[in-house]
Amino acid sequence: MAYALVALGFVLALNAAGAVNFAHGDLVVLGGAAAVFIGAWLGLPSILLLPIVALAIGIVGIVAARVAILPLANRPPEATFVATIALAAIIEQSLTIAMAGAPRTAPSLAGSGSFEIAGLVVGRQPLAIVVVGALLVAAVWFLLEHTQIGRRMRAVAADRHMARAVGIPVARYVVLSLALSGALAGIAGFLLGHQFLVAPTQGAGHMLKAYIAVALGGWGSVPGALLGALGIGIFETFVSAGFGDAWASAALYIAVLAVLALRPQGLFGEPVGRRA
Amino acid sequence: MSAVLEIGDVSVEAGEIVALLGGNGAGKTTLLETVLGFHPGRVALFGRDVSGLTVEQRVQAGVGYVPEGRRVFAGLTVQENLEAASSLPARQRRERVAEMLALFPMLGERPEARAWLLSGGQQQMLALARALMDRPRLLLLDEPTLGLAPVVVVDLLKRLTAMATDGTAILLAEQRAALALAVAGRGVVLSRGRVVRRGSAAELAADSALADLMAGA
Repeated sequence: MAYALVALGFVLALNAAGAVNFAHGDLVVLGGAAAVFIGAWLGLPSILLLPIVALAIGIVGIVAARVAILPLANRPPEATFVATIALAAIIEQSLTIAMAGAPRTAPSLAGSGSFEIAGLVVGRQPLAIVVVGALLVAAVWFLLEHTQIGRRMRAVAADRHMARAVGIPVARYVVLSLALSGALAGIAGFLLGHQFLVAPTQGAGHMLKAYIAVALGGWGSVPGALLGALGIGIFETFVSAGFGDAWASAALYIAVLAVLALRPQGLFGEPVGRRA
Repeated sequence: MSAVLEIGDVSVEAGEIVALLGGNGAGKTTLLETVLGFHPGRVALFGRDVSGLTVEQRVQAGVGYVPEGRRVFAGLTVQENLEAASSLPARQRRERVAEMLALFPMLGERPEARAWLLSGGQQQMLALARALMDRPRLLLLDEPTLGLAPVVVVDLLKRLTAMATDGTAILLAEQRAALALAVAGRGVVLSRGRVVRRGSAAELAADSALADLMAGA
């Protein structure tokens, strides 16, 4: 479910910016690091720390929009790629310095331990990840499908030039989308940072998973990205349980190549000319 | 009567349809997009200079735009396309959507259909309805009859005439001069970005050199 949040944020930024935000994976790591440092500093319970981390990384998303995306809106998409890659490098190097290269553990959202439901042992933290992830996905779906802000975000994603021509303040919606994307990345980083630690170099891995989820689900498709991410999570869990983590990663990339060879547009199609 | 729009040698007054004629590359789209603010240029709207205003500010001042190729928001439904294009408060916006769906029955039959599923004629009506959502005083149309069935063209031109009768100023860019001049009061011929002929619709329709002018000869 945490992958779903990473992929959801990735696709929101992709649709708003019209180009891949290569710093997205590092925003996830930054979320984990923010949970570690702000948690240690304020000593707040995780449930209060979560919105603070979301807000902090949401603000970083706004900075990304203002610094690396909006100023390059009229340039070829390659300019945004380079700018966001630079931003990713800045975040990674800053975290390497701040964390002295040592991985840290983010606070647990629901404490450690597990309980039993109908004979099944369920960990408190994995369950918390599923519940928080599902609530956030539902909230973003409601925003996009049932509010004027969401309709306008989708209009901007569909045709930025035409959105301006009907009076939508496009720059404002790009910033809003990047803020939301950053907040989701931050929360995902918090949730993943307890189970898988927080290390400055994890950004590329998160980025790759999000990219794969969106490519599998259909470039630019929000439901496709969610299903792609859930598919990756389930696939990795089962293969890992049977053959170990290394085989799970290898099998994932083989499966992705096979799916894209058979259905290059992804499972839910893709708007023409958007892949980058 | 004061001009609703003045840009270079082109002006449009309230309740008037002006045909903007010219072949491919004549500069019709550039002129319309300059009015909207996508390109720099001196433009007066509703009696004041708006050259310093953004696209969004000009649209809010009362300009509606129907682009060439319709460019509806493909993944949004008919109703969502209309709502997304409106800056009205929620209640007024919903009332206006209902008015548009009643005014355009072919849209009213399928309010929940995704725009990419609509026929060309339905998409053109959606593009027009979208432009009308916030009751523009000036409507800019770029090749609205392109690729439409004759019966839809007739319906579209009737609607434009009715809107002008209600006081809307309309600048209608068309390559098909006869169609545009049939509903316009005046016309302007562009070639390579410059006005090369102007006159009443009747004068231009009777001008034997019109085709050559539009071809840029």
